[in-house]
Amino acid sequence: MGENAKSGTASGSFKKLLKSPRLWILIVTIAVLSVLQPGVFLTRANMISILLSISIYGIMVCGTIFPILLGGIDLSVGAVAAAAGAACVVTIVNHDFSNPSVLTGVLFGLGIGLLVGLAHGIIVSTFSVPPFLITLASQYIVYGIAQLLTQNNVIACMKPATFAFLGGGRPFGIPFSIIIMAVMALISYFILNRTVFGRTVYAVGGNVEASRLSGVRSRMVIIVCYMFSGLTSALAGIVLASMNRQAIAKAAQGYDNFVLTALVVGGASLMGGEGNITGAIWGAFLVGMVSNGLRLLGIASEYHGIFKCIVIVAAVSLDATMRYRKSGLQRRRRRKVSVS
Amino acid sequence: MKMLCRSGRGVRKLSEYLLEMKGIMKSFNDNPVLKNVDFDVKPGEVHALMGENGAGKSTLIKILTGIYPKDGGEIFFDGQSVEINNKNDASKLGISCIYQELSLIPTLTVTQNIMLGKEKRIGGFLNKGKMRKEVVELINRYGFHLNPDANVESLTIGQRQTVEILKALSEQSRLIIMDEPTASLSSKESDALFEIIGNLRNNGVSVIYISHRLEEVYRLADRLTVLRDGVREAVLEKDEIVPAEVVRLMIGKELKHSSQSNEFRVSDQPVSLEVKNLTRKGVFHDISFQAHRGEILGFAGLVGAGRTEIVRCIYGADPYDSGQIFFEGKEIKPSIPANIERGFGLVPEDRRGQGFTPLLSIERNVALTNYDTLARNGVVNAGAERRLGNEMVEKLSIRPFDSQIPVGNLSGGNQQKAVVAKWLSRDMKVMIIDEPTAGIDIGAKDEIYRILEDFASRGTTVLLVSSDIQEIMKVSHRILVVTKGAIFKEFSNGRITEEDLMMAEFGIDEEEAEKNG
Repeated sequence: MGENAKSGTASGSFKKLLKSPRLWILIVTIAVLSVLQPGVFLTRANMISILLSISIYGIMVCGTIFPILLGGIDLSVGAVAAAAGAACVVTIVNHDFSNPSVLTGVLFGLGIGLLVGLAHGIIVSTFSVPPFLITLASQYIVYGIAQLLTQNNVIACMKPATFAFLGGGRPFGIPFSIIIMAVMALISYFILNRTVFGRTVYAVGGNVEASRLSGVRSRMVIIVCYMFSGLTSALAGIVLASMNRQAIAKAAQGYDNFVLTALVVGGASLMGGEGNITGAIWGAFLVGMVSNGLRLLGIASEYHGIFKCIVIVAAVSLDATMRYRKSGLQRRRRRKVSVS
Repeated sequence: MKMLCRSGRGVRKLSEYLLEMKGIMKSFNDNPVLKNVDFDVKPGEVHALMGENGAGKSTLIKILTGIYPKDGGEIFFDGQSVEINNKNDASKLGISCIYQELSLIPTLTVTQNIMLGKEKRIGGFLNKGKMRKEVVELINRYGFHLNPDANVESLTIGQRQTVEILKALSEQSRLIIMDEPTASLSSKESDALFEIIGNLRNNGVSVIYISHRLEEVYRLADRLTVLRDGVREAVLEKDEIVPAEVVRLMIGKELKHSSQSNEFRVSDQPVSLEVKNLTRKGVFHDISFQAHRGEILGFAGLVGAGRTEIVRCIYGADPYDSGQIFFEGKEIKPSIPANIERGFGLVPEDRRGQGFTPLLSIERNVALTNYDTLARNGVVNAGAERRLGNEMVEKLSIRPFDSQIPVGNLSGGNQQKAVVAKWLSRDMKVMIIDEPTAGIDIGAKDEIYRILEDFASRGTTVLLVSSDIQEIMKVSHRILVVTKGAIFKEFSNGRITEEDLMMAEFGIDEEEAEKNG
């Protein structure tokens, strides 16, 4: 189990935090980048810029972790984000940029996310189709919907201010998208660590049949998990559209990969049953910081992928080794459970 | 020794036996499993091998097929001393073991599966025509009914077994071992298998047939060897095979231990659970019984008799086709969550696969069935959860004494305690417990028995499924014997012996037999 299994006293968790390899990896990364970029990397402006760039992924990760914990996967997050952003923008544009239409637009966008998630959940829990296939297929379907909504154009949307606030507002100087990410992370954390539903997610992800025999309505759990993943993707897409002041079908291309990477770097097991939200957010931070640092160093973008992945592999290996040692246990081969 | 064997080879005396195992010894951790066992098979005979669980049948077969090394003794094949150190050695000699569909690749055709690893080639290409021809010849020679081009995944389990047998024959097998081959076959498929076995015999292939089903052995076997406690108890010729006698040989003449049961009786407490004509097609049929409050009702029978399937249906884990289930006088339609609310609980047979979530801690596993009391409005009371976990660890002395350890890291006995703990704090009405002590140590066993008695004394109805005869006789208040998907006999009156129970499990009714005989 990750640290979420253990909720100790406050000082206990602080000690645990100090011992956490993740914290040190983060500190070392920041230190290295600060030394390489004196006076540029470790500035308030750059920190905010990093936060902005990871806030979208951060919001997604909060929901996408649920199917992962079940041993499933959601590959449609980027497409759902694009479609939701497009739906929101198109609604606003069609209603003359009126303030009430922002609300309808947002609800419309979120509705798309929930519907796609519902479909995933029903199909995955009813038919024994691998979630990988279903969500890969729907990635293209939903992307198609995004194209239809935008007519394959870039649709600009500079007004009204309420819409622009979602991705660009700065109450108390903090970007609003960061606040949204923080709120979503708290919600996810609460669900996973404090609710019966969260407990059953880990149980179903670890052993579906044992959970079913213990009275868990596993079908319901699966459906809700995919719906939540759709919801956060849609929310991220709307924030992204607001940040960019435009809707475009290709808006969130490649985000699926980033989100998955952040989750895995953050210690979630693709076999299910293992992972937590703090790890996932940490993963998003690490990957976001590394790409920002590379850009600041003036390294040609062709090399970014290579460097990013080297850092990721190093981080994951180190994390896994440390956890392995700490556990002091031989890692057992786990039965692959099709949740599925 | 070696010299002798060489000279033996020179003379090449024709042995009466295809296979002779002499003085085979085998121990596990200083625990003798085979004590000087002799076993022989003639060419072209069906030789049945019988014995209780743990008598040493599997070990003997594993030595013969090179899976285990033997500690002592000699094996002669075709009159020559042979060393079988691995599976390859065995198959070179022409010994093969039929596993249920395990070694087949479902997406390949029958021909491809049979020729796997010995494909015929022309140049660098597969000679499909020749391979198919060989398989067709094989099918015809032994009179099988099988489409060589069918995909294995489209075949029934019986047909897959046939493919396995063909595969063995294509490797020039002269001795085929079948371990419980009819366990998952329908009666029609079994008949087809018996016909195949007959054909094998007619073609000079020997078969070692391991089965608990006496009537099959009675029908097929030319000879029969009974093992008991790692010793060859008897070798019977065809005309000496009498079912009741075979069972007596398996149990042993002198009764083991005190081997008396409880004083069985029908409880005078009110009926809590009643099942009427419960049927699941092809699995069990017309199951009717009443279970009383505070009663431990044992379900005895052989593995595969349908006991697990019956109790799972009652719990709501599997659907059934017809029949009724009544709980406290009212008919219920079982669903797991509703049943748990009613006070039902299940400790399943497949502990690791169905009993617990290995990654989760003891605390979380135990809590999973208890969130109706451990949570309010869907929010977990972490303190109460922790207290329950600790309480259970202490109460059942689950070692190590730490409720935060993942259940997957515990020993078998402690894992089982954790599974039982899921139900222990609840107000249980019907506790279903399936093979509760399989593979766990004595201490944990006693603990489990104590828990069951505890449940009963608090008025819980306990349905206990067990294949361990001594256990079920010791713990149950009353026993239903299930054979072939039906209740064959009820022991509800006075004491019985192990032999009585064993006979019933094998479907032999002694009273009937005495009347008729």
